[in-house]
Amino acid sequence: MKKTNIKKKINIKNKTNSDKYFVGFGLSLVVTILLNAIILLFKEISTNVMSAMKSALGHHWTTHGVILIVVFVVLGFILSNVKLKTEWNSQRMLKYIIWAVIISTVIIAGFFLPNLKVASAIKY
Amino acid sequence: MLNQGIMMSHVMFGILGILFTVALFMDVLNASEKNFKRIKILSLAVAVLMVLAFLIGGYWYVVYYGADRDIIKAGTWPWAHNYFMEVKEHLFFAMLLLSIYLPIAVYRNIPLTNKKNKNLILVICALIILIGLFMDGAGGIISRGVTIGLGR
Repeated sequence: MKKTNIKKKINIKNKTNSDKYFVGFGLSLVVTILLNAIILLFKEISTNVMSAMKSALGHHWTTHGVILIVVFVVLGFILSNVKLKTEWNSQRMLKYIIWAVIISTVIIAGFFLPNLKVASAIKY
Repeated sequence: MLNQGIMMSHVMFGILGILFTVALFMDVLNASEKNFKRIKILSLAVAVLMVLAFLIGGYWYVVYYGADRDIIKAGTWPWAHNYFMEVKEHLFFAMLLLSIYLPIAVYRNIPLTNKKNKNLILVICALIILIGLFMDGAGGIISRGVTIGLGR
């Protein structure tokens, strides 16, 4: 009896639980973080997109934020209820999140890099 | 005065969010059944603090920042806005989304005694801390840009 209890405890401790909300919102997080950089590129390159975003909610940044939060929540619930073919454990999710953050950061920081004039800082 | 009060509370909630994330990081490193309740509370607190920082900072940015932006751009540090504010306002969304996902991962990705599950939470915390520190640094540069623009 005691032995089976110990076995049960060990199994619980080692079990990797890929909960549907953990997976659904994790994937939604990856998509939304990348979408953030994509929206930035579109609105900065196209004046039509920028003015549409400004007129939608009064400020392009407000519209940008609302789009991301709505997509994150809606996509999170959708993906939580979809049966995925791939097994999504913590390790796989970790890789996708790290890459999404790196790609998004490089796009955002890289896009505005021409605006950074280090020379003027040194001059000051 | 209201302008400064709103700005200071944005900074305060942001810094508290980073500090709570550091505390959570340490707790997850030593995760056990004893501190699991605290881990859950901390993860929720991080999400709430970052959402508050976002809402308050966002309100300030939309309502008050325009005047500061013009001062920065007319000064000798225009890149304080053209680079640091532009990157800050967009990279913030990544940190916000990571913070909102944090409690979902903590509550739903159990047990945290499992190394892989623990690593996921640790990395999310580390990303929030790193982006958060960049936010603080960029905020400092932007505010200095205003001071320089005013010729002080």
